[in-house]
Amino acid sequence: MLSATQRNWALSLPAFVIVGLLAVVPAVMMLASAFTSPDIEGFTLANFEKLWNSKLAFQAFWRTIRVAIIVTLITIVLGYPLAIGFLRAGPRMQSILLPMLVFPLMVSVVVRAYGWIVVLSPSGIFNQVLLGLGIVASPVDLLYSETAVILGESQLLLPYMVLSLMASLQKAESNLEEASMSLGANPVTTFFRIVIPISVPGLLTGTLLVFALALTAFATPLLLGGGRAPLLTTLIYSFAFTTFDWSAAAAVGLVLVILALAFVWLQRWVGQKVMKSYE
Amino acid sequence: MSSSRAENALLVAGKTLSVAMMVAGFLFLLGPIVIVVISSFTSASYLTFPPPEFSLRWYYEVFSLSWFSRSIVTSFVIAIIATAISAVLGILVARALARGTFRAKAIVEFVVLTPLLLPIVVLGFGLFNLLVTLALEGHNFVNLIGGHIMITVPFVVRSVWSAMAGTDITLEEASLGLGATPFETFRNVVLPMARPGIISGGILAFTMSFNDVSLSIFLTGPRASTLPVEMMAHIEYSADPTPAAISTIMLAITLIIFAVTSRTVGLKIFA
Repeated sequence: MLSATQRNWALSLPAFVIVGLLAVVPAVMMLASAFTSPDIEGFTLANFEKLWNSKLAFQAFWRTIRVAIIVTLITIVLGYPLAIGFLRAGPRMQSILLPMLVFPLMVSVVVRAYGWIVVLSPSGIFNQVLLGLGIVASPVDLLYSETAVILGESQLLLPYMVLSLMASLQKAESNLEEASMSLGANPVTTFFRIVIPISVPGLLTGTLLVFALALTAFATPLLLGGGRAPLLTTLIYSFAFTTFDWSAAAAVGLVLVILALAFVWLQRWVGQKVMKSYE
Repeated sequence: MSSSRAENALLVAGKTLSVAMMVAGFLFLLGPIVIVVISSFTSASYLTFPPPEFSLRWYYEVFSLSWFSRSIVTSFVIAIIATAISAVLGILVARALARGTFRAKAIVEFVVLTPLLLPIVVLGFGLFNLLVTLALEGHNFVNLIGGHIMITVPFVVRSVWSAMAGTDITLEEASLGLGATPFETFRNVVLPMARPGIISGGILAFTMSFNDVSLSIFLTGPRASTLPVEMMAHIEYSADPTPAAISTIMLAITLIIFAVTSRTVGLKIFA
């Protein structure tokens, strides 16, 4: 007979060993290799110095943060009407809208990015509309730019924001709004004084989730930004497979991991704070 | 009275605006996907919207591509094997985490859930580095399965763990007390109670494995490659409408998984 501890270890061991050997050990070894260089013996900060002096890496760093901020703002602006509209719709309408909101989450990221390639290409519908309306004289080259990456990532992450907002708005009773209106507040006042404050926990979780996912998105920026708008994630890939500078790739990886972990930590900290203030 | 009329006008305007913004939001979310599906039925040899004429030309083309048939089969096989192994590993460790109070619980939890904390690109490049060091990077198929297990285990663990944590422990005690062996109790009591969590975890794992690019791109090679990675490579060097047809096929597959999900465990698992 096994003791309880032995049994728990036996149950945990397969997953522990496999995830440990395939995820934790390789990631730690790779991140540690950022402090080594083929030309220098022992510990070195040469790779980080190189990144610091590289215009490409510097731009990619700020672009990553800028894109994540803009994407988060776009998902907030588009997310509120969707979340509020969804909750105000009748049950029949909701049963149509929920699948439309969740289905894109299951669709391959490559397929969703390809959708934007089709829409934004010089002969695509976006340019046809602009040309047809006489807004531009010749097609706008939006593809392979930071704008394309922002559009693609916003579409990718919008459902997460909407679902987070819905979760907190759902808890608030809609008669709170009715009360506000019947007590004489107009819809605008009601929106800013009632709806927004109620949605704060959802807004916070949505913001942190979308921001963290935007920081680490890979396929979308690779397809829509190409070499012209590299982010930290795509820079790792191009250092690894185009210039074969693996130590530099590891250094970029470490920067990305620090950013991502800082966010995970912030997420937990905010989560606890918000939980407490809303109990 | 005029103030109430103004208020009414404001109310109508606000309602119209919020409906318009909602429609715009859904167009933004689904428009590009719909346009890809429509464009895939074009007869032209380049992408145009709307298509000049409808035809199935690009579907014939896609099914004659050797890389398409090869990579879609590889993707399915890898997703099925990875999901099955992840499910077994995930159920076992979730059982220990849900019921056990052992000293190493925090370490086990941390290690098993690490892939959720780190960017997948970092996990992919890290694994690739280790495989190169060990001169194992050529075994694309096995490497892809291993990699996919590693990124999908946390999803199974999370959903099975929460399903197990919500079940009644007295049922297990009753089963043991009535003379069932621990194994029989696990099979006949514990597993059926965790069923919704197992199905959710399995669906999440399968979807994630089937769609993954960030990790797979580091592990594919001449011996095995997955559909999303191959499609991405094709998009980068060619402008013909084959990716539109492939996208539509992938959407159809996703729709089937989606329908199964909403019938079995509901759409809440993605929220």
